[in-house]
Amino acid sequence: MTRTDTAQPLAGSANRRPGRHIRLPAETGAAVGLAVLAGLLGWLQPSFFDPANLSSLLGQAALPGLLAIGMVFVLTMRDIDLSAGAVFHLAGVVAALLMVAGIDPWLAALAGILLGAGLGLINGLLAITLRLPAMVVTLGTWWMIQGLSLAAGKGQTIAPPGADSGFSTTLSGKAFAVVPAACIVFVALALALHVVLHRTRFGYRVQAVGSNRQAAAYAGIPTAKVRLLTLVLMGAMAGLAGVIHVGANGAIAPGDGSSFMLLAIAAAIIGGTSLSGGHGSVVGAAIGILLVQAILSAMSLIGVDAAWSNFATGALTVLALAVDRLFRLWRNRRAGHGEDNLLG
Amino acid sequence: MSDSPILLVRNVARGFGGTVVLEDMNLVVERGSIHAVVGESGAGKSTLIRVLAGIVRPDSGTIEFDGKKATISGPNAARKLGIGVVLQQAGLFHERPVLANLFVNREPLRNGLISRREMEARSRDLLRQLGLAVDVHAPLAELGPGERQLVAIARALLENPRLLILDDSHSALDRRETDRLFAVLRGLKAKGMSMLYASNRLEDALAIADQLTVIRNGRDVLSKARQELTTSEEAMIGQLRQSLFPLPLRAMPTLAGTLRPQLAVSRLGGGRLSDASFMARAGEIVGLAGLAGSGVSDLLALLFGAQKARAGRVRFPDGDGLPKTRTEAARRGICMISDERGNGLMQDKSIAFNLANVVVGARDWGSRWYSPVMALGRAARQIEALRIRSAPETPAGSLSAGGQQKVIIAKWLEIGPQVVLLDEPARGIDIGSKQEIYALIRQMAASGCIVLLHSRELSELTGLSDRILAFHQGRLAGEIAGADMDGGRLLQLIAAGEAEGEGRQTSREGIV
Repeated sequence: MTRTDTAQPLAGSANRRPGRHIRLPAETGAAVGLAVLAGLLGWLQPSFFDPANLSSLLGQAALPGLLAIGMVFVLTMRDIDLSAGAVFHLAGVVAALLMVAGIDPWLAALAGILLGAGLGLINGLLAITLRLPAMVVTLGTWWMIQGLSLAAGKGQTIAPPGADSGFSTTLSGKAFAVVPAACIVFVALALALHVVLHRTRFGYRVQAVGSNRQAAAYAGIPTAKVRLLTLVLMGAMAGLAGVIHVGANGAIAPGDGSSFMLLAIAAAIIGGTSLSGGHGSVVGAAIGILLVQAILSAMSLIGVDAAWSNFATGALTVLALAVDRLFRLWRNRRAGHGEDNLLG
Repeated sequence: MSDSPILLVRNVARGFGGTVVLEDMNLVVERGSIHAVVGESGAGKSTLIRVLAGIVRPDSGTIEFDGKKATISGPNAARKLGIGVVLQQAGLFHERPVLANLFVNREPLRNGLISRREMEARSRDLLRQLGLAVDVHAPLAELGPGERQLVAIARALLENPRLLILDDSHSALDRRETDRLFAVLRGLKAKGMSMLYASNRLEDALAIADQLTVIRNGRDVLSKARQELTTSEEAMIGQLRQSLFPLPLRAMPTLAGTLRPQLAVSRLGGGRLSDASFMARAGEIVGLAGLAGSGVSDLLALLFGAQKARAGRVRFPDGDGLPKTRTEAARRGICMISDERGNGLMQDKSIAFNLANVVVGARDWGSRWYSPVMALGRAARQIEALRIRSAPETPAGSLSAGGQQKVIIAKWLEIGPQVVLLDEPARGIDIGSKQEIYALIRQMAASGCIVLLHSRELSELTGLSDRILAFHQGRLAGEIAGADMDGGRLLQLIAAGEAEGEGRQTSREGIV
């Protein structure tokens, strides 16, 4: 009896079997949801799978999708960027105005992207120097940037000349006659940035800062630089989306992209990115934006008034949050942390 | 050169705002030895360690590392020198996988990308050595507190530091985990590692240290090799230890003889607990002993209304059964004080606000409105009574761990509790505050409360309780009282679930 005491297991690990249990990737929910929805829609409305419908769906998903990619990084860092939609619009307006002024469209586009990155830099600098959450800072800059693009565009649609220029034809073109160019950019960037988030030091740092900022600082991570870079990335993605919008549509009107910021946040959450920071999935956000756009396009196919699309987007976001939350609570309970852990 | 100490700290000072935390700190850590730094909380241990970790810059003084003058300008500089630090609040990332925690900010790259396989390969042996059998891809939140602490230690060791600094690293560990940790540390010492070990627990420091430095009020007051410590010096350091557990107070005369209110639990089941029956009377401290998973925490949660019962009946002194919610529990004078201070305290709110919490939230305190003046008055009273040593307006988060725990106790005292549930009330707290909290527990019992005390420190149970109920795998395994209460027998009960006739066990605990 006394001998049994010698090989005591470590308390805590004793009642749990070590080893791997099956861990579903964070994107699973969104992927299953998209598959089910696509199946259902195809069955209800066979025209859903028409190449024309699919291609317009992809085209609509690509631009907010680019914002969603950037948003995943920001949310993973436990921040939120409310100015993304406004940055998108201002970058588009400025690029279009430069093109109207006769500057080479490719250069103008580059200027638009740089402008987006610069606005992200301003957001970041404000957040760091004032030690504020990005949400508070961008709540202010959102309106400033929106005001700027209204003033710059004088509230009118700007259509740069030369629809037959290389820039315009490239971006409004379609690969294999179906896939819009914007979509290719979107998919390529989604894959690339997924790798960046999960397999590079920068990505690991972003997740570490989002998980526990103080611990990250203690581990020697330059947290201010990581936040700055993440917000610059967000701005650049928004700027890129704005420029592509001008190229693909040939014009930018006031109000274009006004729902993109919310769409991007919704897509990121649906794709398994946690609002409480620490982990995110770029591929999940890409699936998420497709899911949102599929629902919106289904609504118009079925004949629901377009006025309901905002409501549907919001409802979907709330639903995704609830599912994510309930799953987490359930897991915490199973892991034996009790019900006390209300904050996840 | 190789005979010079690995670390030399001379006249280091550091203040925050108006308060001087380190006044004149000197420390010499020899190569290949374990140097313990002991002192009450607030003595400056943590600040000294944060200076060495590069988190805090000293105002003045010099630090020499490996015979050369060193400026530790940041965490990365400390790392580059070869200083590995395990911090008290661990500095871990709960949402991130174990591997990401182990290699944070120094992830191995292969072809420019982070290689998980490489991380696994590099950490496997070390984790086995530490006895840490966990899924390294699981988020840290899924691990137990002891395992998390070991992850923090593994992280520091992965860099092969030349000096390992541990700040109270076993405060989250129980006896066995501490033994395991000490075995690992001794193994490291045998390989030539130098270590600086800060601790609140004097017994542990004495058990493992080669040298010992005592810190008081930001100064080093004594520094000696362990063998050279005379018994009188040891006694001086351990002056608190002797009187750690106060003598039982005599119960209030009104209680004696009269019918004492009691808590009757019969065949209670819920969570891991099943079929538990016992009684507890006012004025007595009933110890609850049990390892993790023994059902003790479920019992406390059931009695506090935080968990639903599956079976059984409970009769509280007020004649009713189990509370359905925590609010109901608070209204009926049942209070719960646990070691997770984060759950009981609003760090950025004032002490006065925190003290008023339960009264305002759950009970009538004489007025419909929250009155800051009244709150301050009540706070001043409790601060006086419990010797919290701070103004009522200061944020609760600025107190030391012991001070915070006293605020939590004080806020429950405000409602005049009938039943006091204590879940490791003194864990991770310095010896001085511990003693005061023990005295408070005695006082609560003497003034007519029913006190149920759960602790993993067996000496705490035997030192404080009038009798102890031992739980094993969800069942009440036995009860011991009076002269039978010793650590060995108790351990036998909770580990094996049965008392062993007269077979005496050698005590694993240093019984005070």
